[in-house]
Amino acid sequence: MEEIIEVKNLSKTYKKRKSKETITAVNDISFTVNKGEIVGLLGPNGAGKSTTIKLICGLLIPDSGSVMVNGISMKEKRLSALSHISAVLEGNRNLYWRLTVRENLEYFSGNRGRSSKDVASEIEDLLDAFNLKEKETELVNRLSRGMQQKLAIAVSLLADSKVILLDEPTLGIDVQTGYEIRKILRDVVRDYDRTIIISSHDMGVIQELCDRTVIINNGKVVTDDKVENLLRLFEVRAYTITLGNALSNQQIQLLHQKFPHLDYSHHSLESTLTVNLTKAEEFYDLFEVLKLEHTPVESIDRQLINFEEVFLKIVNGRLHNELDQSS
Amino acid sequence: MSWINLLKINIKKEIVMMKRYLPNTIAMLLTMYFLFLAMFAGIQIIGDPSSQDVHTQFVIVNYIFWSLSLIVVQDIGWQITTEAAQGTLEQLSMSPMGVWKIMLMRLIATVLANIIIIIVLLYLSMLTTGQWLNIDVITLVPIFVLTLISMFGLGYIIAGISIVLKQIQSFLQILQFVLAGLVFIPLTVAPFLAFFPIVKGVDLVRGIMIDGLSWHSINIIDYSILIFNAAFYFILGLFFFLYCERVAMKKGLLAHY
Repeated sequence: MEEIIEVKNLSKTYKKRKSKETITAVNDISFTVNKGEIVGLLGPNGAGKSTTIKLICGLLIPDSGSVMVNGISMKEKRLSALSHISAVLEGNRNLYWRLTVRENLEYFSGNRGRSSKDVASEIEDLLDAFNLKEKETELVNRLSRGMQQKLAIAVSLLADSKVILLDEPTLGIDVQTGYEIRKILRDVVRDYDRTIIISSHDMGVIQELCDRTVIINNGKVVTDDKVENLLRLFEVRAYTITLGNALSNQQIQLLHQKFPHLDYSHHSLESTLTVNLTKAEEFYDLFEVLKLEHTPVESIDRQLINFEEVFLKIVNGRLHNELDQSS
Repeated sequence: MSWINLLKINIKKEIVMMKRYLPNTIAMLLTMYFLFLAMFAGIQIIGDPSSQDVHTQFVIVNYIFWSLSLIVVQDIGWQITTEAAQGTLEQLSMSPMGVWKIMLMRLIATVLANIIIIIVLLYLSMLTTGQWLNIDVITLVPIFVLTLISMFGLGYIIAGISIVLKQIQSFLQILQFVLAGLVFIPLTVAPFLAFFPIVKGVDLVRGIMIDGLSWHSINIIDYSILIFNAAFYFILGLFFFLYCERVAMKKGLLAHY
């Protein structure tokens, strides 16, 4: 696939105003984004996601490294590179609140040098596609947050850029609008032939929309893989075993020796074991311990891990363990 | 063509805002007019009766230019600080046109949109005082445009400072007095001020409007100084703005307020 964004060895540090302490926001980050992809940029607060997005948008100058947009260097030909990129960085804050919906669309496209005649039909299409037609003469400060967010995305589409960067597109909006925005973003890739990079805390958005996820922690790329691969990596080894009887103390002790991360819970009606197995053969070890007291096994369920759990495991440094064990 | 689109949309925005907030626009015009009346009353009450007419004419021209310079130079500073606080400055900074072009078009749009207010103020002032000035459009326009260009240079400097420092409200208030000094002090008192922005232009405009100078009676040296000032301050302002923009991008200040 054709690369449209290439981020290479990007680093950025800041100095704190008062203490003059140097903070490394982004540390030697490299990744690529292909044409037509939706890539998720994930990471905990302060991981360096927004800094990475702003470096890609040319709003920040890196200390070292480079960003290429459609083959154009952001460092050497910033304005040319910017013609291929648009962004929604702070959602509703990226709009003129004292202008109407239509005026915002016209103003931002005009500021990119586009003529109002050229964009007239595009504006009509976007107003229809984003269900904003009825609100076109409404001032932005009178719109709901969800509508403002939709308008900000429409503005970024009107920029006629190949790549759209979205920083937290569903932050602070209701479930229904969140669903609507996810649908819009899928349609954008399909109908408008765009590439999207999304930075979000909303795992649902990432899991549902993204082809690939780049996870950043402490300013470094922790992983860069397809969402389903990451899910599979963690999913296959997590099991919940329901037992007919309670385990003896000796059994619990033996199990903890063999499986340090094992969780055991006993209630009046049932006992459950939750265990992460590194190899399939470890089942035999587990059953041997159960066999000591002839503990009946009522069911074995493979745990369905969600992407949020995968994300937490990755940022907590469990990825390397999993990769080592799987190899 | 993209330059024209940029200019058109910025003029449209200025006009939309002026119309949408018409009471504010009218209040601005009235404030300027009442301030002029106060100056005029001062001349009438404490001025030398033998030179009252000339002083009044001076005040009209100076006051009109001061008002225009305030609109142009201060407005761009306010705009930058407001846009940084709103979050729209980052969006503008992502335009492939470049922020400096957007700012230039905004400066032009501000002048074009506010020129109506300035003309109304000029005629109101003349009507109130009964002092009718020489409005020689052919001689005035080139001098006015060249003076505006040096004013734009100042505007860029203010915009650059605003991008980096953001909280410059107090500085903008001091600037009002600096601009008043540049506009009101005659070149006969401080000839070296001829090389400061705006000053030479205002001096020539006074010559045209009060003394009736025409384009051919203006010295070539005066024209040269005016052209030099326009080019020098515009380039200086532009480079300063580009430098400040780069500092802001290095320090991550575009979105901070």
